[in-house]
Amino acid sequence: MKKIFILTFAALLAAALFSCGEGKGPSSGTGAETSLIEEVQKRGALRVGMSTFVPWAMQDKTGELVGFEIDVARRLAEDMGVKAEFVPTKWSGIIPALLTGKFDVIIGGMGIRAERNLKVNFSIPYDFTGMSIVANRDIAGSLDKLEDFNRKDFIIAARIGTTAADAVKKMLPLAELRLFDDESQAIQELLNKKAHAVVASSPLPAYQALKYPEKLYLPFEENFTKEPIGFAVRKGDIDTLNFFNNWITVVEAEGWLSERKYYWFNTREWASLVE
Amino acid sequence: MAALAVFIFYRISAGLNYKWRWDIILQYIIRIEKDTGRPVAGLILQGFAVTIKLGIWSTVAALFIGIVMGILRSGKGLASRLAGIFYVQLIRNIPPIVLIFIFYYFLGSFIIEITGIERLVYHAPESVKKIISILFINPVRFPAFVSAVIAMGIYEGAYITEIVKAGIGSVGRGQWEAGRALGMSRRKILKYIVLPQAIRYILPPLAGQFISSIKDSAIVSVISVQELTFQGLEIMAATYLTFEIWLLITFLYFILTFSCSLAFEKYFQSIRHSGSVHRFGG
Repeated sequence: MKKIFILTFAALLAAALFSCGEGKGPSSGTGAETSLIEEVQKRGALRVGMSTFVPWAMQDKTGELVGFEIDVARRLAEDMGVKAEFVPTKWSGIIPALLTGKFDVIIGGMGIRAERNLKVNFSIPYDFTGMSIVANRDIAGSLDKLEDFNRKDFIIAARIGTTAADAVKKMLPLAELRLFDDESQAIQELLNKKAHAVVASSPLPAYQALKYPEKLYLPFEENFTKEPIGFAVRKGDIDTLNFFNNWITVVEAEGWLSERKYYWFNTREWASLVE
Repeated sequence: MAALAVFIFYRISAGLNYKWRWDIILQYIIRIEKDTGRPVAGLILQGFAVTIKLGIWSTVAALFIGIVMGILRSGKGLASRLAGIFYVQLIRNIPPIVLIFIFYYFLGSFIIEITGIERLVYHAPESVKKIISILFINPVRFPAFVSAVIAMGIYEGAYITEIVKAGIGSVGRGQWEAGRALGMSRRKILKYIVLPQAIRYILPPLAGQFISSIKDSAIVSVISVQELTFQGLEIMAATYLTFEIWLLITFLYFILTFSCSLAFEKYFQSIRHSGSVHRFGG
């Protein structure tokens, strides 16, 4: 009885150790493996990793996902002849989730950055965003330049793992950075006067200033960074990267991308879907 | 208590200038489908259902692990006892959220690959997919659900191991000796004499563990299993109605666990009054 137990335990352990080395899918680079495109065609579904960022991607009342990124992903899947399946993931763990094969591609407003590019491949940009800042009137009122916020006694809140957090570290090094799992928590901190300002991708700060005009305001209108947004895939798959890059070029030339961007970012026609 | 609640309410509204929007919350609980006019469970209720299913399934998994490990823990040989102790000490000294991450990102992928769950679910016929939806969760998130159940099962199993070990230990020595006097093997003694009596000691803390696992299920929201906490966080991110959602979720967890503990209380009382187990001479 004891011997059986020990033997099965050892067998399981050996199996676990052996398969840990193999890696998943085309990224393991062990030679001629199927590309992601073929895998997706076989499966019949493109699994897309994203996180909730209003209005890039969010759940509407019925539980369906809607948003700019969702539209892009759905159109991409349609053009590939498959369904789009969304895997909502915590933003701070989204790249590890991609690398361990939880989904095929990240289409979630991910900014192209060198340190991310060391771990994943990016497509060409299909969108550009910038950061802006919203501040609390009572404790940080009537400031109008970014440098005004670069003070030791200021607390700036941002979402963890985003380029907003990086922007604060880079451009407001003296201020204290407080990180949260999503923007609504950061905004609540700002409303509670426990933070002086929140940095996030436009148009989020502007929305919040509109929503709470007596408490919050926009120190200045323009974005203070400009970042390219791309699809992220696992490394080493030229086929897939080529497909995605060309797809982006085509829908950009059609004007479809700008039209969708305008709908989601410059109008609030979709507000009834979530509220 | 009510005065305290009213005071907190007032402080929140006035101090934070927060505009309550309970009307929006209602449609996340239950709403009328536009084309059919039928009431349909909203995201919050769906998450509530998944939380219940998570609690049940992870307790089932934990029972399997816990009973096996608990018997090992009370074993005669050093090897089996060590195996049990190693398992319990390892799990109890790791925070559950860390365990969930380790499991999901490393072991989870391995197990899903080996068992081919993902492929099975993708190519399953519609009827099977419906069954999966009702018993577990919608088929797309099924692999994550399985990861969560196994991880929570391993975690809760450590506590159930100790409960089972204590239960077995509470059965008098005389029972073991009587069994040996009758010439029964250790396995037979466990099966026919000790375990049936140990159950009486195991059930009450086990009930407490079940309730605990319902609360702990909130942790799996970090691997995007669509249970109550996850749905709440998603809705909050989309609508920014932080206070309403958190209050609602707190209320839902409370009535779930409270009604479970009331039900268990009644059950144990009825057992006690029926005088089911006679004490054997010691």
